Amino acid sequence: MKELWKGNHAIAEAALRAGCKFYAGYPITPQTEVGEYLSGRMPELGRTFIQAENEMSACYMLQGASSTGMRCMTSSSGPGFALKQEAIGYLCSNWLPALFVNVIRWGPGLGSLDSAQSDYFQATRGGSNGDYRLVVLAPASIQETIDLIYESYEIAEKYRNPVEILSEAALGQMMEAVEFPEFKEGPKQEELDWVWNGVGDRHKFNHGTPLYADKPRRVREKIALMEANEQRWENYLVEDADYVIVAYGIPSRTSREAIDKLRAKGVKIGMVRPISLWPFPWKAFDEVKSDVKAFMSVETTDAGQLVEDVALAAKKSGRGAAPVYGLFTGQNFARPSEIVEFVERVMNGEEKEVF
Amino acid sequence: MEIVFAGFGGQGVLTSGLIVAEMAIHAGKNVTWMPAYGPSMRGGKAYSVVKFTDGVIGGPDCDEPDVVVAMNGPSLEFAQKLKDGGLLIVNTDAVDEKVDMGGRVKVVEVPCTTLAQGVNNIKAANIVTIGTVIKETGMFDIEDAKTVLKEYFESHGKGKFAAANEAALMAGYDL
Repeated sequence: MKELWKGNHAIAEAALRAGCKFYAGYPITPQTEVGEYLSGRMPELGRTFIQAENEMSACYMLQGASSTGMRCMTSSSGPGFALKQEAIGYLCSNWLPALFVNVIRWGPGLGSLDSAQSDYFQATRGGSNGDYRLVVLAPASIQETIDLIYESYEIAEKYRNPVEILSEAALGQMMEAVEFPEFKEGPKQEELDWVWNGVGDRHKFNHGTPLYADKPRRVREKIALMEANEQRWENYLVEDADYVIVAYGIPSRTSREAIDKLRAKGVKIGMVRPISLWPFPWKAFDEVKSDVKAFMSVETTDAGQLVEDVALAAKKSGRGAAPVYGLFTGQNFARPSEIVEFVERVMNGEEKEVF
Repeated sequence: MEIVFAGFGGQGVLTSGLIVAEMAIHAGKNVTWMPAYGPSMRGGKAYSVVKFTDGVIGGPDCDEPDVVVAMNGPSLEFAQKLKDGGLLIVNTDAVDEKVDMGGRVKVVEVPCTTLAQGVNNIKAANIVTIGTVIKETGMFDIEDAKTVLKEYFESHGKGKFAAANEAALMAGYDL
């Protein structure tokens, strides 16, 4: 039977079942329960939990663990996650897999404990220096959080690249009925050809990372491969839709309610729900009618972030003629009735397009 | 079904939501429980929202509740959001004003603390309200509800209070 689990506890348990052997992190609301849970559970399983002296140290501990082939993880929120950006760059530079979880609180700076999606750009555009990408996965339910975390190490190891799970305060704090998959183990150290284990020529750091002259090509190839293979989405009633909402996470849930209300009134409307935020699932837009009347980004940001990828995806899929609107609701996710009113304003020409 | 349990921190409104969520899982439903957390909790106001259905659950927060349980005066703000024909349960031990919803929703007045005291379980005013919600809505079989209530406290190491809590549930059910 399904059990009632809190989002943050589910993040922790899912990572362990996915094979996480090493966690380092520093507490911050609304993500603290992840570390709290692991601090008890990991010793039970004979695995390593470290409450680091700060967020940056935690990430460099991850670099060490990952270099030896251990499945590892850190999590944080708000300014705590901002502090991890430097190390994310180093992990990408050294082609090391790792799992990052950001339970977003409303920012910038200290921000507040409110649930938001204001770290979209940080996750998809990168907060570290250099040209890199993270595979960014955004669940809309606690079960989906578990399922995505369970797959994340295979993705990270396949491309030797960190994966980030983008959760939201509300998704971390709420509870849903879920089921967990069985425990699984990561690959053995000898199965990985890139680990730093001190044997043979494996005493050099950066083993197997591209050399200076070859780096641009290798980075381009890796990014192209991830873009080709890792786009994930769920489309809802888009086939005949004149209007298409694009939303992820909690706003995708209230958007779905709004769509059902609008469909009952005869409005042909659907939704593209990105599950991978990078690579952005522009392939999902191929299922949208080519003469779609408008796209609408529904997001909990102050001034719009996702909306930019909606416009790019519309253009990339040959639907660039359709205007792109945005409903940006700051620290409160839009209620279904708010979304219905917004869509009706768009239909009546009372909203100004963003793109 | 969307239910809001609201009151002061300490009145057990998060727990009553959790127990109802467990009852809904027992009935094979999809369930979401959302707590109020952070500043609103520290200021003394607390609430939890439980949603359950056979289908897909949308947003987890309060939108258009079917039932509002107001354990104190300030909680009545949620009553404005009730669906037409919804149910408002008012804890008359902590709400002085007469609540007039103009017939838009059904109002049931319950002296929750008094009833809990009547079964020698003064802390269980929140459990009393669950009994009343089940009676008024018929959302769960009362025998199943008793089973889940017992399991909930047993799994939280409080099995010795099982009988007293069942008495509180029935005090609200048998109004």
